[in-house]
Amino acid sequence: MSTLTLPDTSPTRESGSHWAVETHGLTKRFGDNIAVNGVELLIPRGCAFGYLGPNGAGKTTLIRVLLGLTHADAGTMSLLGYPVPKRRAAALARVGAIVDEPRFHGHLTGRQNLQLLAAAREPAARERIGPALERVGILHRADDRVSKYSMGMRQRLGVAACLLGDPQLLILDEPMNGLDPAGMHEMRDMILSLVAEGRTVVLSSHLLDEVERTCDAVAIVDRGHIIRQGPISELLAGASVVLHVECSEPDRARALLEGTPLGGDIELGQLGLGITLPAGTPRDVIAEINRVLVEGGISVYRLQQIQASLESWFLQVTSRLGATE
Amino acid sequence: MTTMSDAPPRTTQPRGSRRDHRGSWVPTPAMITTRFMELRKRRGLMIALMLVTIGIPAVFLLIRLLLHAIAPHSYGPAGGYDIFTGLVAGVLYVFGFIVAATLGATAGSIDLTEGMFRHLVVTGRSRLSLYLARIPAGLGIIVPLVAIGFTVVCAVCVFAAPTQLNFQGTNVPTGLSQAGLENWAAGHSNEVICNFGFNVNGNPPAEIGTVLNAVPCGNGPGPSGAVVKGPAGSLGTPQPSQAQIKDVARLIAAKDYGDYSRTFLYPSTSLMVKTGLWLELEAIVGFIVGLGLGSLIGQRTVAVILMIVLEIILTPILSRAHIAHLINLQRAVVGLAVAHLEPSGLGFVFGGGGGPDGGRGTSLLVPESTTVAICVIVAWLVGWTALGAWRMIRRDA
Repeated sequence: MSTLTLPDTSPTRESGSHWAVETHGLTKRFGDNIAVNGVELLIPRGCAFGYLGPNGAGKTTLIRVLLGLTHADAGTMSLLGYPVPKRRAAALARVGAIVDEPRFHGHLTGRQNLQLLAAAREPAARERIGPALERVGILHRADDRVSKYSMGMRQRLGVAACLLGDPQLLILDEPMNGLDPAGMHEMRDMILSLVAEGRTVVLSSHLLDEVERTCDAVAIVDRGHIIRQGPISELLAGASVVLHVECSEPDRARALLEGTPLGGDIELGQLGLGITLPAGTPRDVIAEINRVLVEGGISVYRLQQIQASLESWFLQVTSRLGATE
Repeated sequence: MTTMSDAPPRTTQPRGSRRDHRGSWVPTPAMITTRFMELRKRRGLMIALMLVTIGIPAVFLLIRLLLHAIAPHSYGPAGGYDIFTGLVAGVLYVFGFIVAATLGATAGSIDLTEGMFRHLVVTGRSRLSLYLARIPAGLGIIVPLVAIGFTVVCAVCVFAAPTQLNFQGTNVPTGLSQAGLENWAAGHSNEVICNFGFNVNGNPPAEIGTVLNAVPCGNGPGPSGAVVKGPAGSLGTPQPSQAQIKDVARLIAAKDYGDYSRTFLYPSTSLMVKTGLWLELEAIVGFIVGLGLGSLIGQRTVAVILMIVLEIILTPILSRAHIAHLINLQRAVVGLAVAHLEPSGLGFVFGGGGGPDGGRGTSLLVPESTTVAICVIVAWLVGWTALGAWRMIRRDA
């Protein structure tokens, strides 16, 4: 039985590029609407990369352009170091992708659908059908018609289709759609295992929590622009510091803090105060807040720094964008 | 419970193998066979195709076989030459085209409508080769189907053919030479004189007219009303001798031998082979045009409707109406071109009514040379393939 192979993950192989995906000034228009607007995107090899953005931001359009499903109006791009579209066939030979909802011929079985796709790939792809089905956990339903598959099973079949080419780069558009919690957990583990094998996984998702758990780096796209990109840890380091303070006399506590030069936004909540400090605020400020409250005769029951999450950071970034309009 | 298992043990596979020609426009055998499988597994479509290409002629012939077996005097034999020409030119020709076009339109559009086109494009395989793979796959279905339907018709028409030749309303032995037919006519002079067609320019010689008027046909002497042999004579004319009557019968038989020699109990092997190839050509044209149109439009239903309109409405009209200013446009209709390649010996398609003689002189079709007809067919095949492939290459997936 044939098995999936381990790709060579050295950045200099084949094309010599360090980047799995590299775009410069990539633009795609639909009439007057610019869906992809001068995108500069660099996705390193061998990582899980989240691609985030609100609905209509142009996420799927960028993926379609990268894969040659539609042409770009301007800019350059390369996949795994191969310039696209010039060497599109060579690039896509090592790419697997799900774009939008994975759809297949419903009258064929899962295995037959994969046979159809494997026939369009290299001969070795046909021998990877069984292992791919096994890996995504639908081998026992491989000979059922796809029309009888649930949405989650189609997602799994879509991932199996991606694996047929033994890809170095997987582009998964909303792969968690239709999966139950256990399925999402398994999908997350599988993505991590793919990355552990040295493959690059680009994950486009609305589920920020899943992206945060799965990905090493992210890019946020809005109205066709990449507005932030980088490792999650670095991006979150630039997020605001949020404190939650449970104390006696919250009103007086708020007045006390507003009378100091500590800065930040203070909101009165049911259980206390919510304090948002600017990004990069030193930890000493937190101790100073505590000192001001105690010296003011306020009993502090709990003072907790809320860990910045990708979701909160995403909301901060997108809300700032909305405010500047 | 389903699980996403760990990666299986890895082995080294050759990357970028020399066998991987995915940029090539030539489809691989695997692409063709899997595409064939994809089409063949469409049960509804396959049942419809089989019903039309095999079921309709089979049921028609079965009913005729049963009726003839139950009441042989009321219902003629199930097979024979006339049934063959009727089924071939009237049923298999038109329905074969429509069925092939339906399959072609399906093959040309279904990946798009069912969302598989995107998966296929992402493989990096040349879109042209993805398109071209559908041609042998589809033909691998439609050609055998038409062949089976045609074989059923041929088998019944040969093995259930009439045992006696019915020539101009008279049962005549088959395979007679001209002398043999004349001798037979002499022995059946009244039947021959009354039933066989016999037209002469102007008035027949007096002695022939005498015989024609004297032989009793139907309610009185002379030929029956449907068969006009010559000028009516008076009842008072002298009665011809038996020898004169036989001579006239021989004369009529000699005149009609040409028609007789082209009348068969069942189609000849040569005619069946030619007709089979002609039907396959029509089916291939239907499939290729349907494939191109389906790919161009991107959906099956409209493509099939357009193909039916072309075959059932436009082609018959444009093939028979001689419009001086549009004559070259009419000649560019593929249905007309294929009709011009119809084997001699068949009744003309589109109601031309050439009959068993296959005489081209009686064709009502817009005239077109064989060379032009072949060029038109090739142009349609190449043109629609190019259009369909171009659309597939340029289409957003």
